[in-house]
Amino acid sequence: MVSVINSIDTSHEDMIHDAQLDYYGTKLATCSSDRSIKIFDVKGGQQTLVTELRGHDGPVWQLAWAHPMFGNLIASCSYDRKVIIWKETNGSWGKLYEYQNHDSSVNSVNFAPHEFGLLLACGSSDGSISIISSTGDGTWDAKKIPNAHSIGCNAVSWAPPINPGDLLDPSGRHQPIKQLVSGGCDNLVKIWKEEDGQWKEDQKLEGHSDWVRDVAWAPSIGLPKSIIASCSQDLRVIIWTNDGNGWTQKVLNKFNDVIWHISWSITGNILATSGGDNKVSLWKETLNGDWVCISDVNKGQGQISDGQRSLS
Amino acid sequence: MSLQWSGEQVVAKFPDVQANTMAVDCMGVWVALAGRRAISMVNLKKPKEKPLKSARQSKWDVSCVQWNQVPSHLNLFVTAYNQKLDLHSWKDSNITSLCSMKGHSRTVSDVSWSPSDPNKILSCSVDTFINLWDVNDPRKPVRSFQTVSGAYQVKWNRLSENMFATTHEGELRIWDIREGTSPVQYIAAHLSKIHGLDWNPNSKSELATCSQDCSVKFWDINNPRQCKGSLNPGSPVWRARYTPFGQGIVTVVVPQLRRGDNSLHLWNTARSNPVHQFVGHQDVILEFQWRKQPEGSVDHQLITWSKDQSLRVWKIDSQLQKRCGHDMGEMNDSSENESSQGGRESVSQNSMHENDLETDHGNKDFQRQMSMSPDSVVFQQPQTLEQEFELMNTNIPHIQVEELDAVKRTCSVSAVSRNFNIGLRMQFPENYPCSEPPTFEFLESNLNYDIKRQLHKVMLDTALMHAKRNTSCLEPCLRQLSLALNQPYNFRPEERKTPDPEPARPFNLSWHPTKPPYNSKPSYMAWHSPSGLQDINIPFPRTSGARFSAAGYLVVFGRSHEARKGPSGTEITPKALYDLTDFASKSRNRYPPKLYSIPFHQNYSISPPTPVAENVSISEWYMYRPKVTNQPKGKRKHRPKESTEVKPVLAPVKIYDSSCLLPIQKELGKNYIIDRSNIPAMCSHNAKAASAVGRKDLVQLWSLVALTASEKLKPQNNPDDELPWAQHPFGKEMIKYLFDFYMKIHDVQTLAMLVCVLWDRENAIVPPPKKEKASLLPQSTSMEYVPPNMDNPDFLSSSTDSGWLTAGSNLLKSFKTLTSHLQVHSTRPPPHTSVQSRLPSQHHLSEVSSHPDLANMTGVLKIRRSNSLSCLEDSFEDYRIEDEEGIKEKESERQAKIHENNCRLLDPSAQNQYDVFLMSYADILFHWGYTNNSKLVLKFMTHLPEPHTGIEFGVQCFHCSQDGRGAKCGSCKNLAFNCSICHIGVKGNSMFCLKCGHGGHTTHILDWFKENSQCPTGCSCRCVEAKSEITM
Repeated sequence: MVSVINSIDTSHEDMIHDAQLDYYGTKLATCSSDRSIKIFDVKGGQQTLVTELRGHDGPVWQLAWAHPMFGNLIASCSYDRKVIIWKETNGSWGKLYEYQNHDSSVNSVNFAPHEFGLLLACGSSDGSISIISSTGDGTWDAKKIPNAHSIGCNAVSWAPPINPGDLLDPSGRHQPIKQLVSGGCDNLVKIWKEEDGQWKEDQKLEGHSDWVRDVAWAPSIGLPKSIIASCSQDLRVIIWTNDGNGWTQKVLNKFNDVIWHISWSITGNILATSGGDNKVSLWKETLNGDWVCISDVNKGQGQISDGQRSLS
Repeated sequence: MSLQWSGEQVVAKFPDVQANTMAVDCMGVWVALAGRRAISMVNLKKPKEKPLKSARQSKWDVSCVQWNQVPSHLNLFVTAYNQKLDLHSWKDSNITSLCSMKGHSRTVSDVSWSPSDPNKILSCSVDTFINLWDVNDPRKPVRSFQTVSGAYQVKWNRLSENMFATTHEGELRIWDIREGTSPVQYIAAHLSKIHGLDWNPNSKSELATCSQDCSVKFWDINNPRQCKGSLNPGSPVWRARYTPFGQGIVTVVVPQLRRGDNSLHLWNTARSNPVHQFVGHQDVILEFQWRKQPEGSVDHQLITWSKDQSLRVWKIDSQLQKRCGHDMGEMNDSSENESSQGGRESVSQNSMHENDLETDHGNKDFQRQMSMSPDSVVFQQPQTLEQEFELMNTNIPHIQVEELDAVKRTCSVSAVSRNFNIGLRMQFPENYPCSEPPTFEFLESNLNYDIKRQLHKVMLDTALMHAKRNTSCLEPCLRQLSLALNQPYNFRPEERKTPDPEPARPFNLSWHPTKPPYNSKPSYMAWHSPSGLQDINIPFPRTSGARFSAAGYLVVFGRSHEARKGPSGTEITPKALYDLTDFASKSRNRYPPKLYSIPFHQNYSISPPTPVAENVSISEWYMYRPKVTNQPKGKRKHRPKESTEVKPVLAPVKIYDSSCLLPIQKELGKNYIIDRSNIPAMCSHNAKAASAVGRKDLVQLWSLVALTASEKLKPQNNPDDELPWAQHPFGKEMIKYLFDFYMKIHDVQTLAMLVCVLWDRENAIVPPPKKEKASLLPQSTSMEYVPPNMDNPDFLSSSTDSGWLTAGSNLLKSFKTLTSHLQVHSTRPPPHTSVQSRLPSQHHLSEVSSHPDLANMTGVLKIRRSNSLSCLEDSFEDYRIEDEEGIKEKESERQAKIHENNCRLLDPSAQNQYDVFLMSYADILFHWGYTNNSKLVLKFMTHLPEPHTGIEFGVQCFHCSQDGRGAKCGSCKNLAFNCSICHIGVKGNSMFCLKCGHGGHTTHILDWFKENSQCPTGCSCRCVEAKSEITM
C-alpha cells in the first residue's frame, strides 16, 4: 500500500510547479509562480520550513538537486530567463551562481549523474540547451546547443552514466558517454551526445504529434538497454527503448488530458505520469514487457486532489 | 480580488433575513428589506450591524416596498401585499403601521410615491385599475384609472408632477392625473411583456422600458411611434434603471433565465455598450436602488439585494461615471497620457469612450482596472474580414501594411528593417476566422530559405492557435513576425552587431511588489508587448506532478479539490502560456460565453476587478468558475466565497512512501549481510531477513544459493574427476534464469547480492589495455623482476606466481599480472591522510599529476626504479625457456582454463553488468543512508572505481634534507615535515602548497590562508592562486 508519510502545506501564494526531495529524502524543495523556492526539512515526518529563496523575477518552473557529494546544491529555472544555483553553507542558503544566457523562459533543469561532475543541463523556450559545468573552484563554464528545438525546448534529462552496449561486452568498460535527451515544441525528442567536448545531435525520435512536454531517461540498473519516456500535448506517453538495434517506440497510453510530467522510480520499474487533469497514474512493466496501470484512477484513488490516501 | 475592494464594496450578509424586496430611503440611510415574516431595517452607515426587525403577521409576501420620496416625510414607507397597501412610519427604530389602503381586487403589482407630493401614492394591479391614493384619506383611492388590460408597473414621472407611466404586457401608457381617466399616450413598446420601466431623471419626456424580448428601449413620449434607441443585452431584461449621473443605465436580467449570471450591467446609453459588470452576488438579484449621496460626494453607490441574502454596496466612482458619459467638468493632469493612448486604441471603435477617461492617481486600483483592461481593447472581436482590416492597428514595428483587400480576402505587407526586406501576402479563406487560418506567401525577400521557413512556421503557429478559437489573427501574426524578425539570434541574415532590441518585459504571472505605475503603460502595450506573444512558445505551466525522489519516495503536488480544471472544466489543458494571457482577458468579463454571443459584450470592466493581464496568476485559471447552471440550490451554500484566495487552489505537497511498489526493500538493505567466508550462515541470515519483510521468493532464493554455493559442491581441481556443479542444470543455468528473472522485475538489490555471493573478481577477464601495448611491451619483461626492497608482500607473491611466465608468448597473462599488480596498489588506502611535504621538484609532480594515465605511469615509474642491466639479461633467458616449453604449457593452461570456466557459476563476460548491479545497489543504499553497506557492496566490483592512488608525495626532511616518505625521515628519524607556522614537526594531518611545497598543520594553514594569500614562509609564493593553476 502506498501511504502518505508526510503532507506539507507549503503556503505558497500561487501554483506550485515542481516539488522534489533531495538525495536522502530529508529535504523537500518546492517552487511556485509566486517566484519563490521553499525548502522544508521533512526528516522523520516533520515539515519545518528551512528557507525561502527569492531571486527569480518570474514563476519558477523546475528544480533539480545535485548529488550530495557537491554539497547541498539546488538549481532552479524560471520564466525570468534565469537559472540560479543555490547552495547551503553552514545552514544558510544563498545564491551560488546565476546563469542568464537564455533569451526566453527556461523551462527545465537537470543535474547530470555525479560521475560526470557538477554538470547542469537547462532547456529554454529560446530553443537552446545550455550545459553548465563547474570546475569546483567557483568558475563556471557553459556550453550551448543553439536551436536544439526550433520553437522551444521544454524538457531535458540526462542519460545514466552507463553505456548499455558495454554491459555484455567483456572486452572492457569504456568511459561513459555524456548523453542527454530533450523534448520540445517541434514535437521531437532528441538525444544529444558529447563528442570531443562538443555536443552533437545523436538521434531524433519522431512519434509525437504535438509539443513534447517532458522527457525522462530511465535509470539504469544494469539492463542492457536504454529506455526513455516522453509525454506530450498530444495526450500520449511514449516509451522509447533501445536494446542496441535502434530506438523503438511504444505508446504507453493515450490520456484524456495533457501529460506534462513523467518520472521514473529509482529502479526504473515504475513510471509516474501526471498532467492537466490533476491526476497521477503509475505504470509498471509486466514480465512480458507490457505496461499496465497499477494505480486505480477510476476509483479516484489515483487522484491527488481528493484526499485519498492511497495510490494503489 | 475583492480584497482590494473591501474598502469600497460592502458586503453584508443577513442569513436570517428573508426578504423578497428592498427599498432605500430618500436620504440613503435606511434600507427596508421586506418579506413575509418581517420587515428588516438596515442602516447603510453601519451595514454590518444586525438589522432591526419588525415581525409581520401575514400569509402574503410583500410584493413591493417603497420609501416616500420627499425628504420631509422620509420616515414613511409603503408596503404592498396581496390587494392591500400598508403605510408605515419608521421612527426611533420602530415601525408603526399608520394605515392600510385597500382598493384593488387582485394583487397589487407595483406602487410609486409621488416625487413631489408626500401624500400621493400610485398603485397598480392586474385587476386593470391604477389607483391614486392620498395617505390622509386611506379609505378609498382618490382616483382610479382603468384600462382594458392589467397593469404591471407604475412609475411617477420624476420631473413632471402629474405624469406617470404604466405598463400593460407589451404596451406602455402615459397618464396625466389631470386628464381624466384615459391615458394621454399609448406606446406599443415591445412585442413581449415589459418587465420594467423607468423615467429619465433628467428629462420629463423620456423613459426606458425593458422587456422579455431581450431589449431595453428608450422612448420620448412626444414621439410614441418611434423608439429613441435600444440596448440588446441578449437576454430578457428584468429591470432597467437610469443612473443618477451621465447617460448610464443599469440592467439586470430576468430571474428564471439568469441562473449563472447574477450580475448587474452598467451601460452607456449614448453608445449602447455595456461599460461595467458588477459581479459578486451568488444568486438572483431581487432589487437594486441608488443611494442618495451626501452633498459634495463624487461617488455614487448602488445598493443591491439578492436572494443570496446579502446586501451589497457598489461604489461607482468618477471613472465609471465618466464611462457613462457623465461630465465631471474637471480634467486632471493625466489626460495627456490618455490621449496618447487614444491613438493606439483606434483599433477598437468601442474603446473610444476610454479616450476621454480621466485618470485618477489617487485610485490605483481603479486606475489599473482602466488602463490595463485588455478586453475592452484588444479582444474585441471583429466579425468580418472587413471589420478586422478596419480595426487593425497597423502600427507594428518594421511592418508596413501595403494593401488590405477585403473582397479578394488578401493582405499584403512588407517588412523592412536594417537587415531584411520581405514581402508577404496573406490569403484569408472563406471560413476565416472560423477554424481556418490564412495562408502565408513570401513574395520577395533577402532571407534564406531556412529563415523564411522559420518565419512561416512562427506565423502559422500563431494563426493556428487563433483559428482554434475562431478568432481573427492578422494582427497577432504580423506582430509575431515583427518580433521574430527582431530576434537577435535567429533571424540575422548577416553577422552584424545590431543593438539588441529592447528587452521584452516578461509577462508577470503573479503579484510583484515593485510594479510599474499602471498608467505608465497604455493598455494596448500590455497585450501586444513582445513578451506577451513570446509566451506562445512557453509551455503552459505544470500545476500538478508526481516525482519519484530519493529512494522510494513519491512526491506529489497539485491543485486542491476546489480548483477546477480550468475555465470550462472539460477541455484539454492548453499548451502555451499564451492561453493563460488570453484567458486573463476573458476572465475579466466573467461571462459564460454561450449566453452572450454579441461581440462587444466583452468590452467592459467588471467589479470587483480581477487581476489583469499584467498580473494574472495561474491560480486564477483554476479558480475561474462559470456561473453554475443546473446545480441544486442546496449545494450553492457550500460554494466557496466569491473572494477567491489563492491558497485553496493548492493542495498540500504529499510525500508518499512508494517503496512497496519497488522490487527492493529498505529493511533488507539494512539487514542483509555479506560474508563470503561463511556463505551458508550468510544465506540463512539473509533468508530470515527476507522472510521478515515478507519476500517469500527471496527466502527460497537464499536457500537455493546456500545449496549452490555449499562446500560439498565445490569444483575439484582435476577436470577429469567429475563434472563441476556449475554445469548441472541447477548450476550455471539456474543462476542465469534467476538473473534474468530479477532483471525483469528490476530487483537490483537481489541481483547485486547474488553478484556479491557468486562473483569472484579473480574470474574477471582483463582486457589488454590497447593504448599502452607498444610502449609497455619491452618493459613487461622486467616486471617479473621485482625490486627486492619492495616491502609489499602481495606484490612479491604475485611476482613469484608469474615468475614462470614469459613476455612474448602470453601477453594476455602478463598484462593481467600487470593490472593486478596495479590493483594491489590501488587497493591501498588513498593517500589523503598520508604525509605530504615539500617536494624538491614541483614541476615533476605537476607533470605526473596531470598525466592522463597516471596509474600506468606510476607503474612504469616504479619499475623503472628497479630496472638494471642484469634484469634485461635475465629476461632474455626467459625467452629461451619459453621456446622449449611454451607449447606444452599453453595446452595445459588452456585445459585449466576451460575447466576453470566450467566451474564458474557466473559468466564472466557479463562482468560489466555485475559492476553496474553493484553500483546501482550501492547508490540505493547510499540514498537510504546505509553508507557502510554501500561501501561493502562496492568492494565486490571487478573494476574498482578509478584508482585514486599513484601520487605519493615525498618529503624532503627538514633536518637532514634527505628525500623520503612517511612522517619520519628515514635517515635522521626526526619528524620530516616541519610546520611553517609553529615550526614543530607534523605527525598528523598536514597541508601544503603544491607550488612552493611549504605547509604545515592543517588547522594552522587554514587559519593562515583565511586572511593571507601568500605563503607563510615568505617565499613569496601566492599559494592560494597557485592552487587553481595546478589542476589535480
